[in-house]
Amino acid sequence: MKLALFLVRRVVAAVLSLVALSALVFAATDLLPGDAADTLAGAQASQGDRDQLRAQLGLDRNALDRFTSWLSHAATGDLGTGLVGGRPVAAVLGERLPNSLVLTALALLLAVPLAIAGGLLAGMRAQRRSDRVISGGALVLAGLPEFLTVVALTAVLSTWLGLLPEVSLAPVGGRPWDSPQVLVLPTLSLMLVGVATATRLVRSAVVDVVDAPYVESARLAGVSGGRLAVRHVLPNALGPAVQAVAVMFGGLTGGAVVVETIFNYPGVGYELQQAVANRDVPMVQGLSLALCATALLALLAGDVVATLLDPRRRGL
Amino acid sequence: MTRHIHRRAFLRSSLYAAGLAALTACGSTPATARRGGTLRAAFTGGGASETLNFLTGPTALDSVRARAMHGKLGTLDPAAPDGVRYSVLEGIDVSSDLRTYTLRLRKDVTFTDGSALTTRDVLYSLNAPVLLGALPYLKPPAQNFDLGAARIVDDLTLVLPAKQPIADGRLVLCQSTLVVKDATTAFMPDMPTCGPFRITEFVPGQGSTLARHEGFYGLALGRGPYLDSLELRSIPDSNARVNALTGGQLDFVGDIGPVKARTLEANKRFGVSSGQLPHATSFGFMMNLAHKPFDDVRVRQAFKLAADREGMVRSVLFGRGFVGNDLPSLGFADYAAEIAQRPHDVQRARALLREAGAEGMPITLTTGSDVAGLVEVSTLYIENLKEIGVQATLDQRPPGQLFADIKSYYQLPFTATYSPPSPPLSGYANTRTAGAPSTFGFNRPDIDALVLRARSATDPAQRREAAVQAQRLMWEEGNSVLPVFAPTINGQAANVQGVTNEPWADFSGAFLA
Repeated sequence: MKLALFLVRRVVAAVLSLVALSALVFAATDLLPGDAADTLAGAQASQGDRDQLRAQLGLDRNALDRFTSWLSHAATGDLGTGLVGGRPVAAVLGERLPNSLVLTALALLLAVPLAIAGGLLAGMRAQRRSDRVISGGALVLAGLPEFLTVVALTAVLSTWLGLLPEVSLAPVGGRPWDSPQVLVLPTLSLMLVGVATATRLVRSAVVDVVDAPYVESARLAGVSGGRLAVRHVLPNALGPAVQAVAVMFGGLTGGAVVVETIFNYPGVGYELQQAVANRDVPMVQGLSLALCATALLALLAGDVVATLLDPRRRGL
Repeated sequence: MTRHIHRRAFLRSSLYAAGLAALTACGSTPATARRGGTLRAAFTGGGASETLNFLTGPTALDSVRARAMHGKLGTLDPAAPDGVRYSVLEGIDVSSDLRTYTLRLRKDVTFTDGSALTTRDVLYSLNAPVLLGALPYLKPPAQNFDLGAARIVDDLTLVLPAKQPIADGRLVLCQSTLVVKDATTAFMPDMPTCGPFRITEFVPGQGSTLARHEGFYGLALGRGPYLDSLELRSIPDSNARVNALTGGQLDFVGDIGPVKARTLEANKRFGVSSGQLPHATSFGFMMNLAHKPFDDVRVRQAFKLAADREGMVRSVLFGRGFVGNDLPSLGFADYAAEIAQRPHDVQRARALLREAGAEGMPITLTTGSDVAGLVEVSTLYIENLKEIGVQATLDQRPPGQLFADIKSYYQLPFTATYSPPSPPLSGYANTRTAGAPSTFGFNRPDIDALVLRARSATDPAQRREAAVQAQRLMWEEGNSVLPVFAPTINGQAANVQGVTNEPWADFSGAFLA
C-alpha cells in the first residue's frame, strides 16, 4: 500500500516535471535566433517567400498559442508533425528510440558488471595501490573527450585491425541489430563512457558500507576477501549503484549524440540535435518529451529497485 | 597480388574517366560501360525527417535521390546549343519576341506504371512548386511564366507565355524542374516516376534502394542506366562518409571537401571527382552598405583587391577550385568573362583605404562551416585584410548557424556567404534586385534595369552589351567579394565510373568497371 502510494506520488511528480520541461524546451527552442522557415528557405529567398513559408508552417502564430496547441495535442498522444519534412513525430520516435534504447542497454550490460567489479575492488582496498589504479583509470577515462575515445577505438579496431565496420550502416529498411557487427563500436564507445562514471559511483558506495558495524562483525567472525565483498558489502552498496545506473541509462539514451553522429548510428540523440539545428520545434518537443519520459521512468525504476534492495527503506 | 589488381583497375578507371565525358556528351554509349551491379553511395541527408517530396527537401541526398527517380526537363550546359542539354524534352522553341516558349516533349518517355509522359504532366510539374508548396529556389518557372495561360497543343507540345519577354527562359525552365505525373499530391515509394531509376525502398534518415527503370528512354538509345540498382545512404557527417568508403561499405560518397580529397587521392584504391564549371558554389564576403565605411566605394574596392584568390584556391581548395572575379555565375554563357581579372594588389588596396580615411579600420568577418572550405577561405581572407592594414577578426559560427537567423544575418556589417550555381541574369532577378535583403544595401535600380534589358532584348548583341554593362557596374562598385568557386568534390572506389555532377551527382551514366 505504501509502495503504491509512493509510486502514485512519483508518477504525478513525473507528469508535472514533463509539462515543466516541455515548456522549458519550447521556450529555449523558440528563443533561439531564426526558425524553421529560415532554415528551409535558405539565404537567397525573398522576404515574401520566407513569410509565405512561415505561414505554411504555422510559425506566424504567437508562441503561447503554439505551445498550448502542442500541449493539448500531446496530452491525447498526438505529438504533431515535424516542420522540416512534415513527418509525424511519433513515427520518427518509433524508428529511433528503440535503436537508442538497444544501444544504451547493450552498453550498460557491458559496463555494469565491469563497474561493479572495479568499484568493489577499489572500495574494498581504498587508498591502496589497486584503488589508485582503478580510480585513476576511471578518472582519466571519464575525463577523456568522447570524441577521442571513439577515434582511438575506431583506429585500433577498424583501421588497423580491420575487424569492424567504421560506420553503423544497417541494411536499408533494417535495424542495427540486423547487422550485429555495426553495433560493436558504438556500444564499446558508450560503454567506456558509462563504465568510468559507474565504477567511481560503486566505489564510493562500497567505501561508505565497508566501515559499517555489520561488515566489521562479519570480519570478526572470520569472513574475508571475496566472500566478505560479495556477501556483506555488495548487497548494501547496490542501492546507490542501481540509482546511478538508472541515471546513466536516462542520460545515455538521449546523450549519445557524439557517438551516434560519428558512427552514423540511427538513434534519437542525433535526431534531436538535427531538429534543434533546423529549429524544428514540434520535433524537438516530441523527442525531448520522449527522452525525458525515458529518463524519469529509468529513475523511477531505479528508486523502486533501490528501495527493495535496501532493508532500511522497505517500509518507506 | 592484390596491389597489382588495384593498380590495373585504377589505370583502367583513369582511361574510362578520360574518355567518358566526351562519349556521353555525344550521346553514345561508352564502349567500356559495363551493365549490372549495385552502386552504394552516401550523401548528407536530413535524418528521420526526410521525405520523398523533393519540393521541400533541402539536403543533397534529397536532390540526388529526386534526380535518380524523376525525369528532368534538362541540364544547364553552356556548351550545348541552347545552353541546355535536354532530357525529357526534345527542345524548347522561343518566339522572336521572347514572349512565347514552346516545349516539345520526347515521344518515348514513359512512367514506371507504363503510362506515357504528356504535356499535362509537364505543366503540372511546373505548377507543382506553387500548388503544393516548395522551397523558393524551385519557383522561378512560375515567377517568369504565366502558367495559368499555358496552352496544351497536344500530348507532346506545350506553349508557355512569359510574363515579360525573357531570353533566358530555357535556363529558368530547365534549372531545377523535375517531372511528376499530373495531379500528384503524395510522394510515395510506389508513385509513378520517369527517371532512370525507380525506388524500391525508402527509409527516412537511413537511405533508399532503387532499381533500374527498364522503361527509361535512355536505354532505347543505348545509354544508361547501366547499374541494376542503386543504394543511396544518408550520412550527414563527412568523416563518417569517407570512413564508410575506405572501409568498403560504400562505393561513392558526396561532398568530402578538399582536405579529405587530398587524403583519398593518395590511396590507389580510391579516386576523387569534382564538378566542372558552371556547376560550382561561389564563396564570398558581403559588405553591408548600412555600415560605414562600406558605403565608400574605395573601401569596397580595397577589400576586393586584398583577396589573394590564387592562394585560396591553392592552399585551401588544394587546386580543386576556380578563381573568382567578384561576379556570380562563373562559367555560365551570360557571365561577363571579358571583364579583366581583378588582381591581388596590396599596395593599391592600402592606397584606396588611405584615400577613404579607413586605414587601420576594425572589422569582424562572420563565417560558418556550413560548406566545406568556407571557414578556411575566410581565415585566409582575414590574413589578406591584415596585410592591407585592416584590423580584421573572425567570428566563426557553428555548423548550420550562419543563416539560422536570417534577419540578423542581413544586418551583419561583414559576412561570409555561399551560393549554389545559377545563371547570372535570372539569378540576379530572383534574388538581388534593389531592396532585396540579400543585397546588403547595394540597391541599384540602374543595374536592375540593365539586367531587365539584357533578359528581354531580342538582339543578341544588345543583350550581351547590357549583361556585360550590368556586371561591370557590379564588379566596379558592388559590395561582394567573390574570390573562389568550389565544385562539389566526391570520393569513389577506383571501379566507379560515369557519375556526373551538374551540380548534383547523377548516376544515370554510372557503371562499375
